[in-house]
Amino acid sequence: MWTVVDTLADKAPVFDNRRAQYDTLLDRMPPIAHTPPTMTTEAQSPARPSGRPGTSDRLRAELAAVVGRENLVEHAASLMVYECDGYTLERAAPDLVVLPRDPDEVARVVRVLADAGVPFVPRGAGTGLSGGTLPVAAPVMVCTSRLQTIESVDVRNRRVVAQAGVVNLWISRRVQADGLLYAPDPSSQGACTIGGNVAENSGGPHTLKYGVTTNHVLGVELVLPSGNIVQLGGAVEDRPGYDLTGLVVGSEGTFGIVTRATLRLTRTPESCRTLLAVFDSVDAASEAVSGIIAAGIVPAALEMMDRLILQAVESAFHAGLPIDAGAVLLVELDGAEAGLEPLAQQVRDVCARHGAREVRLAANDEERTLLWKARKRAFGAVGRLAPNYCTQDGVVPRTRVPEIVRAIAATAERHRLRIGNVFHAGDGNIHPIILFDERDADEVRRVLDAGREILEACVALGGSVTGEHGIGVEKMAQMPLLFSPEDLLAMTRVRAVFDPEQRSNPHKIFPDAKVCVETRAPRRQAAM
Amino acid sequence: MSAAAFSDAAIDGVVASRVADAASTDEVREVVRATAAAGEALVATGRGRHLAIGEPPARCDVLLRLARLARIREHHAADMTITVEAGCTLAEIDAALAAEGQWLGLDAPAPEETTVGGLLAANLSGPLRASHGTARDLLLGLRWVSAQGEPVASGGRVVKNVAGYDLHKAHVGALGTLGVLVEATFKVRPRPPHERALVVACGDARSAIAAALDARDTVEPAWLEAASGGVLGVDGAAGIAIGWLGIEQELDDAERRVRARLERVPGASVVRAVADADAAALRLRLAELASTPVAAVLRVATLPSALGDAIAAVARDAGARWAAHAANGVARVLVDEASSVAELVAAARPRLERDGGSLVVERATRAVKDTLAPHGGVFGDPGPGRELMRRLKDAFDPGRVLSPGRYVAGI
Repeated sequence: MWTVVDTLADKAPVFDNRRAQYDTLLDRMPPIAHTPPTMTTEAQSPARPSGRPGTSDRLRAELAAVVGRENLVEHAASLMVYECDGYTLERAAPDLVVLPRDPDEVARVVRVLADAGVPFVPRGAGTGLSGGTLPVAAPVMVCTSRLQTIESVDVRNRRVVAQAGVVNLWISRRVQADGLLYAPDPSSQGACTIGGNVAENSGGPHTLKYGVTTNHVLGVELVLPSGNIVQLGGAVEDRPGYDLTGLVVGSEGTFGIVTRATLRLTRTPESCRTLLAVFDSVDAASEAVSGIIAAGIVPAALEMMDRLILQAVESAFHAGLPIDAGAVLLVELDGAEAGLEPLAQQVRDVCARHGAREVRLAANDEERTLLWKARKRAFGAVGRLAPNYCTQDGVVPRTRVPEIVRAIAATAERHRLRIGNVFHAGDGNIHPIILFDERDADEVRRVLDAGREILEACVALGGSVTGEHGIGVEKMAQMPLLFSPEDLLAMTRVRAVFDPEQRSNPHKIFPDAKVCVETRAPRRQAAM
Repeated sequence: MSAAAFSDAAIDGVVASRVADAASTDEVREVVRATAAAGEALVATGRGRHLAIGEPPARCDVLLRLARLARIREHHAADMTITVEAGCTLAEIDAALAAEGQWLGLDAPAPEETTVGGLLAANLSGPLRASHGTARDLLLGLRWVSAQGEPVASGGRVVKNVAGYDLHKAHVGALGTLGVLVEATFKVRPRPPHERALVVACGDARSAIAAALDARDTVEPAWLEAASGGVLGVDGAAGIAIGWLGIEQELDDAERRVRARLERVPGASVVRAVADADAAALRLRLAELASTPVAAVLRVATLPSALGDAIAAVARDAGARWAAHAANGVARVLVDEASSVAELVAAARPRLERDGGSLVVERATRAVKDTLAPHGGVFGDPGPGRELMRRLKDAFDPGRVLSPGRYVAGI
């Protein structure tokens, strides 16, 4: 059912060695009595199994009995919508999509799937960028997008309880009049849902100062792959016991399906200054980023856009961006009005020292909104430049931003690709956007090679292969760059605590299918 | 009673037959392997300052001390991260960061005697959590030695990272039941140039919490404490202390506006304003209350708006000492009389738990802990996640080598 554009099979010798160690460790594990789901015999990809168990008429009838036939998506044409998320290089339509209408229906759906032993893929709005919702060896997709109720808002205690299908931005809109907001603000915040945000531990521009999703989730309701519902954490802080909420956030749907989340609200900053600093080169802008951080300033956001992005964005939004600049920095400072002017002056000074040819201040809310719209919709605007684009996500220590930007430019040249940069510079979280045409198989191959090389450069500089998009299917092969075999085994054991049969979002995150099939229970005996 | 006597080398009267000092991860691995191979149990500790936290260990054959595993591994000031070994004290880290104009922003009690491992294992925090969060929010990556003696890591050294599960979060507050922590990476922040605080007398606990939340809604504070009158040095039963960090213009503005707001709060009167070193000293004194050597320190957690009632229910004696992180809904109440703890817990815990809160006997003598078994022990009910927690322990430490019996639900 699904086409593999490229398997992302492990080609780099640097982690061949670690992969071998990992396999050795797996081989030492005691055999576990478990019959893997029957695989249909389709063209095998070397990286992951390409078949999956089917869905019987009986299963469909049982699911229809829970949600109603009208809330099943069964026809091939309709299923196409679900064949990928924001990561489009690999596609696979599920056999069946279930659209439960409330949290309890999710649990009943999952119970039916548990009884039938059928693996499933949770999905929110499908805005993910690492293929986390690609149905690999799981025939059924369970979408939480209809769980759209904001169940309670507690202004005095700054808490909100939202169902998984609530769109991120709805929460801030709902509490705006009370002077509050929900801080994590991914670029897709107008579409992405809380369930997906929790699964991916989503970030956004303002996480530089306010933290990522995990810093704002106090509790979740989780439907375990058994169909049991468990409440973890809650509105009150300091509950005794392991921080299971902290484990669930960022687990990419491999622990079950989050149906509700209790979130912390943040006071809307009293005031802010949004500055646009214009540089002749990406290098100079990168150095200014380091300069701002080194000066002890923590802006609310510190974003960079290079020339290619500026031109795309400007032609789409007419925000008055300088299209002849090498790069711009978007710097937002917020807090009490009384402290902002001195801080803004400091930022101007640092930028000037690093060769900014101009530093503009957004004169009013309208200008500020336009600048942010341009930034947050940059990915979409890039669509004008090429038939396809692929957004990478990597992290380097903040001071290494200039180096990684140079490495990206060199990679682009080596592979004859156009790569734009729009990213969270203050966090060292880079987002090179690689332009391509998917009809050109050779170019696609070069895109994948370039992406991998950029990630390897991030790791070499002391960083990570993903800052906010997740591992999904996209970066499974890169996990051994960051983690030892023991680290990965510890993670798969924790996965088995929540999902011993590996039925929730199987074949994600971990380097190869073997882990998913074989690591079904914690090893009882130490490897000593 | 001195702090040292409170944290005797034995843990709740359980005396380890051997003491091991480890100065490297490899030495920790050796000790863990030998302990596991012998079918024994160990408890890891830094300087022993916070061992009164938790249930008495079911077994403790080896006390593994990590005070010598205390190097600052990396501090790239401009990256604003620091990587330290588990035996480093908070005071040592603070000194290294201060040299670069930075801080961790985590004001746990007893920084001279609190190691990073202890900070994480016991999830210690202080007033700054209102704005800076707790250890889980600042921890970027962790290395530990597993119950099998293997080195394991999660997270990394960059401020943003979603590769793999956040296993390090599970170790925070786990009292060493999932691994022996050996190295941690934190994000750090610029050290604020100035600090200022207002101390306000407020009548009783309920009105103090209400006034604190009103002040918070006026100007966002860096810290927001309520406490019994004696603790704050104000007349009357209770008061609040509100702190801000930043440049002088901001602090002047914050103080002016909050004073104006408090004028409209009946019964609230500003007693004094303190600045810089004095404000920090006040904040640290409030943090210290949590580790006061008394019969028991109770930790009460509920929604911030319900905290006043909860404190009133637990701090029943007129002279009871307590302090609260008002913005977080967390209070500590000191109990001097050992014989009254069990009754207090029995009376207040069920209602707090029913409303999603908790009452933990955070520190207590063994004698007090022994009276708590019929009432849910020192922790009470960890909630619906308890079965998953047991399975998590089994996944990490099936042989129960690490701090057995010290944690919730018999873990």
